[in-house]
Amino acid sequence: MTDTKTTSPSKPQGAPALSTTRRTFLKGVAGAGAAISLGATLARAQGEIGFWAKDLPNDKLVEMYSTILRIRWHERTMVDRMASDPNYRGYNHFYAGQEAVAVGVCSTLRNTGRFDEVDLIFSTHRPTGHAIAKGIDLKRMAAENDFRATGLNKGYAAEMHISDKSIGFMGADGMIGPGPVIATGAAFGIRARGSKQVVVNFGGDGTYATPGFHSSLNNAALLKLPFVYVLENNLYHQYAHYSLSCPMKDIADAARTYRIPGVVVDGQDVFQVYNVAKEAVERARAGQGPTLIEAKTYRYYNHWGAPGVKAGQLGAFGYDPLAITSFRPEREVRAWMQRDPVDICRNTLINWGVLDKAKSESIEEQVKKEVKEAFEWADKQPLCKPEDGLKNVFVEGSVPARQLA
Amino acid sequence: MARKSWMYAVLEAVQHEMRQSKDMTWLFELTPPVASTPGRPVINLEKEFGRTRVVNTGIDEMWYAGATLGAGLAGVTAITYIPYQGNCMCFQMIQNHAGKLHHMTGGDAVAQVVFILEMTGQTPGFAGQHSDYEIDTYYAHIPGVKTVIPSTPADAKGMMVSAIRDPNPVVYLYPAGLRDQMEEVPDDQYTTPLDKAAIRATGSDITIVGSGGGMPEVMKATEALQKQGVKVETIDLRSLKPMDTETLVKSVQKTKRLLTVDQSYYTLCPGAEVIARVAENVEGARFKRIAFPDAPPPASPEMFLYMRPNADHVVAAAKKLIG
Repeated sequence: MTDTKTTSPSKPQGAPALSTTRRTFLKGVAGAGAAISLGATLARAQGEIGFWAKDLPNDKLVEMYSTILRIRWHERTMVDRMASDPNYRGYNHFYAGQEAVAVGVCSTLRNTGRFDEVDLIFSTHRPTGHAIAKGIDLKRMAAENDFRATGLNKGYAAEMHISDKSIGFMGADGMIGPGPVIATGAAFGIRARGSKQVVVNFGGDGTYATPGFHSSLNNAALLKLPFVYVLENNLYHQYAHYSLSCPMKDIADAARTYRIPGVVVDGQDVFQVYNVAKEAVERARAGQGPTLIEAKTYRYYNHWGAPGVKAGQLGAFGYDPLAITSFRPEREVRAWMQRDPVDICRNTLINWGVLDKAKSESIEEQVKKEVKEAFEWADKQPLCKPEDGLKNVFVEGSVPARQLA
Repeated sequence: MARKSWMYAVLEAVQHEMRQSKDMTWLFELTPPVASTPGRPVINLEKEFGRTRVVNTGIDEMWYAGATLGAGLAGVTAITYIPYQGNCMCFQMIQNHAGKLHHMTGGDAVAQVVFILEMTGQTPGFAGQHSDYEIDTYYAHIPGVKTVIPSTPADAKGMMVSAIRDPNPVVYLYPAGLRDQMEEVPDDQYTTPLDKAAIRATGSDITIVGSGGGMPEVMKATEALQKQGVKVETIDLRSLKPMDTETLVKSVQKTKRLLTVDQSYYTLCPGAEVIARVAENVEGARFKRIAFPDAPPPASPEMFLYMRPNADHVVAAAKKLIG
């Protein structure tokens, strides 16, 4: 979808590929007078807004902004339902605060096409942001998250297992660790098929400690798989700070072990995420192997559900009984909210002259309306038939009702 | 004596044993060893014993189980607490190592360790990976590891003390659906055997056998049947391996009717083993088992609650068996 430029530099074994692709690109743009400084640590985002995103057409940039808002308002609408409607049964591991990661990454992918054309993403227990960024149907997802028979996955999945392979959204996963391993298998299959698709695995800081993290990167590196590991470091896995499970400040440093590029990026800035993801995805598609991207980000809500929220208020503050002993300091939440991915995206686009304030606000109103309609549609959908739980165990037939004598 | 929750009772047992020991350790993934109960001091093992003995690192169940086993092999009694999300990721360490080492080394290797494996709360809405209830079957199959599943706070405490003091590796299943239970639990340390089922009701018409997270519904059904004049003998297995065959056989010799109830999947559920053992030893008995169908639990509460055996299912099955 966005893959207009294919770089295929011959990379010396073990050299950081990002600098290679960036240099190759720079050679091309230098003549056009682009003034871009080439820092010493090319594999690091240094806070500058890179060039890939600046080259995007306006409609693509506006689409990225709309998608960030779509995620934000999906999360806020759902939080508000949880906080204010005792009859609402849906729940979520909320993604608000991290929107720029999902949108920056998925904007570099092919999100439409046949199943052997579309790029695949493997998501986590915090999936709704990834799903929306990949282009999921909001109405059917809202219905699924409320256990409706006409939901995306017929009420079998709910939030932790939503999937829609028609857009390459291979699904959420409630476990920590197996996901990236399975994702590398998909990349392996794709390479065997020769279909030039790319597989992106999203995982949190909690995945670093799991055997699956190391196994997936090691095998992807050994086999040069078309694989990108996007590690969203939001500082906490469940209620534990990542310093409890990782001895490094930057988890991306782990990439050195596997001789693959490791990139740290500001996960609050969608355009910086886009820039690093673009290079990683092109590299993967060109057969040059995997990249580890660590996006530094933060979630505005607690690990799960709506403790500490108030209807109409962005973010969760205060006591989370599920945390037992480890709490996020409220000032930490507020400090991160100062670097809000929605604001950063909007301000950048206004600064670039792509949007003005009025246009940015009308887009937001339109998105809010769309989200509201999705939840209203979901509310009217039928509940599941109990006995349908016995179906879909195998591809064919159903299993006996063993709870009955 | 005070009313205590399941986890408070367990941590009280562990705290007492750790105070008697210079080196006994607790390794926990995600869930800190902290519990409170009204009118009693908060227990916080991490605070009391320090991070040398009470520790958590990352999400890596294989490490927690393997490290617990390793500590045990080195002569340090160790307990690990693995939350339900990862209670099968540690399977290899328990099945292929903990369960076999003593035998494979001709009795040389000994590991006095406890693997507390949380089972899901079977909460409707969380779907296949977070509403499932299946590992009783898997772990009970392993030789060389005792697998127990207490269903009340009082048993939880007594069986935890026994598990810690037992020289063998013990898989101690904790059905998290029981976390809200409260009952009177003695303050003093006491042991409850790891090889005895508990008879929860005495009767002569039918024997109903359940375990763990299924017991509250089995007890509800027991009361309902008693009200209808059925003399029910209800047995809580408590230990899956070793299984208390004697108690089961004696009961069915009397009632000649055996109904087993499992939250685990039908195929190879603990009840299947119960029926096999009784059938080998009792002539002329009738049998029935109900269990969760051989399907992952779906997210929709409508589908899930239809499939999970409840008191109504137990009553209906019992009546059918009595005829």
